[in-house]
Amino acid sequence: MIKVALAGQPNCGKSTIFNMVSGIDQHIANYPGVTVDKKVGRFSYENEKIEMVDLPGTYSFSSYSLEERVSKQFILDEKPDVIVNIIDASNIKRHLYLTFQLLEIGMPVVIVLNMMDVAQRRGIVVDSKKISQMLGCKVIEASGAKGIGSKEIMEAIVQTSKNVEKYEEFSINYEELEPHIKEIENAIEQTKLTLNKRWMAIKMLEGDDTITSYLKKEFLNIEELTRTQIDKFHTLYDKDTTSFLATFRYDSADIIYHKAIKDVNIGKETITDKVDKIVLNRWLALPILFGIMFLIYELSIVGGYKLTDYTWPILAFIKNFVIDISPEAYLTDVPMVTDFAVWMINSANALINYIPIFFILFMLIAIMEDVGYMPRMAFILDRIFKKFGLHGQSTLPLVLGGAMVGGCAVPGVMATKGIADDRARMATILTVPYMNCLAKVPFYTLILGAFFKPDMSIMMFFISTVTIFTALIVAKIITSTFLKTRETAPFVMELPPYHLPTVKGVILSAAQRVWIYIYKVLTIVLAVAIVLFALLQFPGISKQSQEQYDSELEKSLTSFDKKVKKSSYYEEVDTKDEIADLLNYYDGYRNKRMATTSKDGALAIDETYNKKNPNFYKFIKPLKDNDAKIINAEIRKLAKERNRILRNIKNEKVENSLLGLSGKAVEPLTKYAGFDWKINVAFLSSFAARESAVATLGSLYEDNKEQSQRAEEAMAANSGYSELHAVAILIFMLLTPPCIATMIVVKMQTNSYKWMLFAIFFPIFLGITASSIIFTLGNLNSWSGLEAMSYFYFSIVLTALIIGFFPTKNINWQGGLKNV
Amino acid sequence: MKLSQMIGGSSCKIVKSNATNKLYHKLLDMGFIPGATINIIREAPLYDPMQLKIHNYLITLRKSEAALIEVVQL
Repeated sequence: MIKVALAGQPNCGKSTIFNMVSGIDQHIANYPGVTVDKKVGRFSYENEKIEMVDLPGTYSFSSYSLEERVSKQFILDEKPDVIVNIIDASNIKRHLYLTFQLLEIGMPVVIVLNMMDVAQRRGIVVDSKKISQMLGCKVIEASGAKGIGSKEIMEAIVQTSKNVEKYEEFSINYEELEPHIKEIENAIEQTKLTLNKRWMAIKMLEGDDTITSYLKKEFLNIEELTRTQIDKFHTLYDKDTTSFLATFRYDSADIIYHKAIKDVNIGKETITDKVDKIVLNRWLALPILFGIMFLIYELSIVGGYKLTDYTWPILAFIKNFVIDISPEAYLTDVPMVTDFAVWMINSANALINYIPIFFILFMLIAIMEDVGYMPRMAFILDRIFKKFGLHGQSTLPLVLGGAMVGGCAVPGVMATKGIADDRARMATILTVPYMNCLAKVPFYTLILGAFFKPDMSIMMFFISTVTIFTALIVAKIITSTFLKTRETAPFVMELPPYHLPTVKGVILSAAQRVWIYIYKVLTIVLAVAIVLFALLQFPGISKQSQEQYDSELEKSLTSFDKKVKKSSYYEEVDTKDEIADLLNYYDGYRNKRMATTSKDGALAIDETYNKKNPNFYKFIKPLKDNDAKIINAEIRKLAKERNRILRNIKNEKVENSLLGLSGKAVEPLTKYAGFDWKINVAFLSSFAARESAVATLGSLYEDNKEQSQRAEEAMAANSGYSELHAVAILIFMLLTPPCIATMIVVKMQTNSYKWMLFAIFFPIFLGITASSIIFTLGNLNSWSGLEAMSYFYFSIVLTALIIGFFPTKNINWQGGLKNV
Repeated sequence: MKLSQMIGGSSCKIVKSNATNKLYHKLLDMGFIPGATINIIREAPLYDPMQLKIHNYLITLRKSEAALIEVVQL
């Protein structure tokens, strides 16, 4: 098998070449210990098996960024047979800088000139034969977007690996630096490393950390020796080795550029220049950016949500199917297996439901990445985000997290991948969950509907606009405390030429991200759902209560029996088993009937139920049969009664459960915010998925008398909460930690459980603190709910503005070489 | 003169980089070598960072970083 490493600078079109050559047989993993994607593709050409690893895009081959370290580590540890270097043919000079570094490694290189079509269109004529002769390696002309050059690349890989014994070491003559390179080369003569010694010597002179750490193990004084050589060179020529080497490579690239490339349009305005004139125009840039953000939001969140109207029935069908095959309830005795099945399918559905939204979102992100708008967005807004310790590139993640009415933290956190500055990236990951989660909206609506009917719109305005300010403040807090020592990267960012994205590339990228979501998030969420289920189920209700419920059931059964005696069908419902069956039959029919809106669907359900049990069917649809009508009325009553008992059992179970007990246990702490154990339990159960908070609260506050009462009415009437309580609840929910799915992507992106736990507990701390302060102050000064919320809102906005306008002039980078 | 002081539409040549450590290496890798020509394209809408053209490609730099590069106007 031929091992191939695919290297290239960012924006060279590496991934399109990778997709073109390796087809769809590719998988994504992480490089060990870091969150950098490692794409591996396998294919064969003329009976030769080839494995291609996509290295992260890097401008250079030193060790100053995570990507560079990862790439170098791969080359050192895996020793590929061939390095394939992708070059943007329309911007050869800068890309050749990396090429020279790759050639110096001392492994055979194949150069692929990508985007030949773009270069031709721009009037750039490339003499690839000349480049091939000058650099002593194969040079292939290709266009990933047009699908040109796949076969030639494979051919070149196979040929190069076959001719490996003819390979002669590539070296640049560094003239005045040569004696110093020799000096170090001699010193490491005896090394056990099989790598090219000259290359290692050059890397040492560049102060490369990775190579230094490898060689230090064998040669104790190697660092000292290198130091003296660098100093000697400095005193002799007044030149710094690193700068000297970089300049030398750029000059070499310049030679190739002048000998092999003719650019007739040089100096003329390109299409990119023209588009930039509009897109980055001082007055138009911000409106255009907001327009694009709004469009993304509309297409993905709003449009995707509409799409879920079509996908939801499929999920509902699966759910009904699972319920159908689960063992049926016997009166008030529901088998745990059935409870468990319903719980699991609900947890899964809540997450699967978002897939249409995610797919559209990921496609749009891929398009923006391919087009080249992402770094421009960072360019436009960097000034603002910089103030809060974030990066221009934090814009998109925050917007996806829900800058407007509702977003989702999962794609938001996943979109932080490209942020070059580690500290800003971490800060973005940890602040995205503070944005407006789409699934929190029903919860807000419930609380607002219950307590703030007349002021609903102003309250909703506060809720949806306060989040960006809280996120910015949190970013500032954590970047100047917990993240202070994190590595930062200088804001030196290429603005690539605009490109048309390829359909294949966009779909592949979106599909890969959705797959990560399904594979990683869903599996773990289901595991957590099992744990939560257990926490809610055990230890269950006491024997006494069970007896009490049994007697209640017995009573209603007796009443049923007495009433239906009059009916001529009494024989059909005179045993417990028959009644239990009829109850299940009735409930099943009702649930299915309520799930359909179409007339045909209703008829179909009628038919199936008629076929299933014609005897029972007449009780459900008695028409003019008076004897059946009696049973119909009574079975309805009984079903209602059974549901009441079931709900009471469930509530008592929750109250007695481990989760309920923990809700009660933290009550002394949460009482300052006005939260009783019921609210605590609702918050706790909302971890599984935000949606369940509403369901939990709804069922906890229903008083079982009036079935028609809506959840918000029930809550306002039965909870005994004041408006101030409601504000405290709202504030906590605004700051509350992300759902499990978000936590898992936080874990994926930070690659640490420590930060995941931080992402859970820091918001809880903030939420409890903020809501306690507002609740306590509100009680002291007898604020109305609206007043309390307004004070909260304006103090947050003011804090953010003060931070934003406070002048900061600090050095925001560190690390690199010591004692330079 | 510092690169950060240059105005949009002008050109300059790099004399020296006063950056240190990581930034120094990063700038070298991106082609900010002594003698290289830079065209200043524009400033961002909020006046920082700046958009530059060097070695025939576009790059953006914050003014705080650009202040570390000494240039002569062309």
